[in-house]
Amino acid sequence: MAEYRTHMTIIGDILSTTRDDLQDEDGATVTYLIRKANISHSRISRILKTLVSQGLLEKVDLQGSNKYKISQNGREFLQAYNSFRNFADNFGLNI
Amino acid sequence: MSLEFLLENILNLVGFLIGFAIGIMSLIGFRNTGSPTLFRLTLAFFSISLGFFVIWAGYMAEDFILKSGNIERWIQTLGIVIQTVGYFFIAFSHSIKSFFPKSSYFRSVGFFPLFLVSSVQLEHIFRSVSFILLAYGAIETMLSYFENKNKGAISVSVGLAFLALGEFLGWYSFVFPDSLLYPASMIIKIAGLVALFIPVSKVPLTKIKFDEGIE
Repeated sequence: MAEYRTHMTIIGDILSTTRDDLQDEDGATVTYLIRKANISHSRISRILKTLVSQGLLEKVDLQGSNKYKISQNGREFLQAYNSFRNFADNFGLNI
Repeated sequence: MSLEFLLENILNLVGFLIGFAIGIMSLIGFRNTGSPTLFRLTLAFFSISLGFFVIWAGYMAEDFILKSGNIERWIQTLGIVIQTVGYFFIAFSHSIKSFFPKSSYFRSVGFFPLFLVSSVQLEHIFRSVSFILLAYGAIETMLSYFENKNKGAISVSVGLAFLALGEFLGWYSFVFPDSLLYPASMIIKIAGLVALFIPVSKVPLTKIKFDEGIE
């Protein structure tokens, strides 16, 4: 059975991918993130738009194709997210 | 100073401090991540902390001001009710979707009897509700350990189970009022609170950049 992921978990997965699992130094394409985060195109588009507007991701325009890189704020958020995910795990809860 | 009085003071002070510490950590987590789970944990542990504080303050007032020999019953009941609210939020976080009856008729008659019973009976009602919520939380947390293998969940589960057992013995002690059941319930609850705090104290918070307004 597929594991249920909260909205916060999906955001964590996207940020982790853009920090630790990039295809190249320019960033990750939407297609790559869809495959890694395992969500639909329409949903990831909304999430990416929000993450860019919140300053957690940087959008890089490279010859017509958009790539996404994690920002410094994104790194700090991800660090806090990982700490508090562990905190919530202790209570048997998903952040 | 009797053993029971001493244990009550230790229990309520420890409960207040540990509840407050976990509440603050949950609040910092909520402010940093916006997670609704951490918001519910914040409400839960601030409620638990406040409940213990109310009872502790009641004992202090009795000891230093009123000197009546026993804590006001309504203060003890109020503290237990506030704690029960906290336990509810822990259980609710484990996906209790509809705790209260959905029908407005049942909702109205469900609360009405609370005004017809004395504070002593209310205390027993809320202790038993707390027991159910804590037992549910302990079982769910232990089940999550089998999924995630996070060792901290064992300690939290044992902590919640001890609190549940303490509530049960505290409630059952009215059958044998002069026995060791009530002091035993308090010692078990103190052990439960400590077990609850052990894994939480290991969460590394030092590298997190806190939001403005939270030190």
